[in-house]
Amino acid sequence: VKHLFRYLGLRLTLTVPMLFVLLSLVFVVLRVLPGDPISAMLGNHAPESLIIQKKHEFGLDKPIWVQYGDYLVQLARFDLGTSMIQTEKVLTPIAEKLPATVELTFAGLIVALLIGVPLGAWAARHRRSGGDFLARLYGNIVYCIPVFWLGLLLQLLFGVALDWLPVAGRVGARVITSDFETTGFYLLDTLLKLDFDNFTDVIVHLILPAVTLGVTLSGIFFRLTRANMLDSLKSDYVLAGRARGLTEGSVVYGHALGNAFVPVLTMLGLQFAVLLGGAILTETTFSWPGMGRLLLERIYLRDYPTVQGIIVVFALFVSLISLIVDIVHALIDPRVKY
Amino acid sequence: MKKLAAMAALVLIPLSVFAAPSTLVYGTTEKITDIDNASTWDFHTWEYFQNISAGLLTYKLGSSELEPALAEKYSVNKAGDEFTFTLRKGLKFSNGDVLDAAAVKWTIDRVIALKGDPVSLVTDYVDQVIVKDPLTVVFKLKGPTGYFPALIATPPYFPQDPKVFPVDKIIHDPTELPGGQFVGAGPYKLTSYKRDQEAVFSVNENYFGPKGKIDRIIIRYYADATTLRLALDKGEVDLAFKTLNPADIAAEMKNDKVKTFKLNGAFIRWVAFETSEGVFKDKSLRQVFAYLINRPELIQKVYLGQNKPLYSMIPEGMQFRYPTFKAMGDGNVKAAEALLTKAGYTKDKPFAFELWYTTSHYGDAEVNQAEVLKSQLEKTPLVKVTLKTAEWATYKQQWNKKQMPVFLMGWYPDYIDPDDFSAVFTSTEASKGNGIFFSSKAWDDLFEAERTSADPKARDAAFKKVQGLWTDDVPTIPLWQGDLYIFTKKNVTNVVTNASMLLLYDQLALSK
Repeated sequence: VKHLFRYLGLRLTLTVPMLFVLLSLVFVVLRVLPGDPISAMLGNHAPESLIIQKKHEFGLDKPIWVQYGDYLVQLARFDLGTSMIQTEKVLTPIAEKLPATVELTFAGLIVALLIGVPLGAWAARHRRSGGDFLARLYGNIVYCIPVFWLGLLLQLLFGVALDWLPVAGRVGARVITSDFETTGFYLLDTLLKLDFDNFTDVIVHLILPAVTLGVTLSGIFFRLTRANMLDSLKSDYVLAGRARGLTEGSVVYGHALGNAFVPVLTMLGLQFAVLLGGAILTETTFSWPGMGRLLLERIYLRDYPTVQGIIVVFALFVSLISLIVDIVHALIDPRVKY
Repeated sequence: MKKLAAMAALVLIPLSVFAAPSTLVYGTTEKITDIDNASTWDFHTWEYFQNISAGLLTYKLGSSELEPALAEKYSVNKAGDEFTFTLRKGLKFSNGDVLDAAAVKWTIDRVIALKGDPVSLVTDYVDQVIVKDPLTVVFKLKGPTGYFPALIATPPYFPQDPKVFPVDKIIHDPTELPGGQFVGAGPYKLTSYKRDQEAVFSVNENYFGPKGKIDRIIIRYYADATTLRLALDKGEVDLAFKTLNPADIAAEMKNDKVKTFKLNGAFIRWVAFETSEGVFKDKSLRQVFAYLINRPELIQKVYLGQNKPLYSMIPEGMQFRYPTFKAMGDGNVKAAEALLTKAGYTKDKPFAFELWYTTSHYGDAEVNQAEVLKSQLEKTPLVKVTLKTAEWATYKQQWNKKQMPVFLMGWYPDYIDPDDFSAVFTSTEASKGNGIFFSSKAWDDLFEAERTSADPKARDAAFKKVQGLWTDDVPTIPLWQGDLYIFTKKNVTNVVTNASMLLLYDQLALSK
């Protein structure tokens, strides 16, 4: 435990330079891009004096290295700054949109694991069979498929042709979210209010985006699980289990899968960043009001502080998940030493 | 009998109490900026203000004429620079606060002090606002302005409640206000709002005019046109407005399950030239462009016939309009080649230039529009066009820096007057902001004449002359005028917009 805490301390310390490098890159890239936030914010009618005044207000008339220094000082005070477009604290829109993205990302992750891991285990168990071939084909296809294209296909099939599921949004068009919203996590909010009608509605709206996101990622988990399962199935303990007369199901899904899952868990932490990236595209396809749409909109408007703020939050979020995965890894695998 | 009636009442009263409110769901791909009339200057947010606030004057239904709204009458002095408005008695905001002349003055002073985006709509014209008595307010202007009543009908002039709105800061979201709700004097009130997700409106019982017919209107925001169309097809929304793709519009017009409302729009698309330096400094080359484009073909190929060709910057349906570009023809290759040959261009040394467009502001069809324009311009071997694109923030920066010789633009009017389709683009001062950098004393004098006169004949003469000059100097070229398409379920009726193309919620109704 002592070693684990030392490791966690080191990981947390390393997050700071990681954030520093990431933010420096984003800071420079945003300012290298053509277009400026003041022109985007003010209409074509704005007089020159107003443009100069606004540039001064946001410190855009200072040399870039001074702007960079000011930004770092601001960050050191745990202040993400003020949006240039909406003149509101950057944290305000982030706090508003983050729950939607987190809810979608976790739902997508669950779908990816529920498809990828059992399918990978099954394919390894039936290696070189027709089923294994089809499962590998599935893994390759979903790995290559663009997430927005799959989303559109699912929308057309399940939303329009079969009319089973809604095509957009987090809730039904006639549901007013302010009636139940408290945390922004709608699954939680509806449960807290014991509003089971709206809870069902939220679930129904989550299915297509989560499946879209989960299916595209399930290919990675499938391939990883299958490869590790093939190794595990060759292990001595599997042979020993079979020799002791354990059922095949118990050997494969009870013992071998348990060991094969450890690398999958490691990959899960790494894939979280990919999931967040996929969520950005999925959000646009399904009109999901989350961080992805916010990021895209603010990049177009050159809202430097909000884009930087979103990147900070994304980076912290991915670091946190990686950390949690490492802790879980240490807890479930006694061989892991820190 | 009395007993029977009493029993019936006992049954019916609870039924009416628990009857579900009538609700209309309206889907759109538009976005809201700030819900503050001191800051906002965009089509969709102004639609909010048209419905949750009210002006001293408003447009008559189906007309570009103004009629009294919060003001029951107004007068103008002889010099044309002082307008006196008399408010209706007993006006109230949606929270019950009194709406008087002091609130009108307070609103204008606040718009000026906060220097938000639309401030020039006030500061360019208004010198001061004077409260004569609780029902009388006087606008002293910086100079005579014939179309000031049209400005009064725009949201920056809509009175806000001084007890609710902060005097020193812009409001982005109604939750920042005391009570967490927007307070206005329009037919509806905004009862719930979540940015990019939903807005809920209910009837304002304190509105001075006829009450809205639908109890509750919910606006749902969609990320793109495709999803909006799917939501319409699935019946998730009762009304879809702005903006479906041309192909979707064509498909929905054939859809038996929805009704199509095609309304005249004052939205225009046009070509802008950087006229002060670069390849289009020579006006004869701008004329070449005007001769070569073929508007009907462009509309048919790109918009499947869904818009109208535009031959004056002042669109159809407005007074003082002279479609002078009609005389130049469409796809007039001969006239263009004559000018090009005179300018020294040959097949081996064609007139080459970059045509810029942006899809991030005008939608996906923009790339098709640019392609079709290129093909029309290259109908003569004497012209060689290179298409270039940039997203909106870059586009704006580039026109300010004179980096785009010719580029595609669009315009939604702020106020319904021909001035807002002419002087705002090409007067010496305004043309800089549009990347045109055109300057002509003759033009500026004509704009000054039409702006300062309230006499229709004098204004007509000025606009006629300026539209005549337009085909010679060609600082811009009108392309087409947009039609508005609104799609609804079969039970939605009375879908109307005002002269500014803003959807009027209080007119909407649901049939059984």
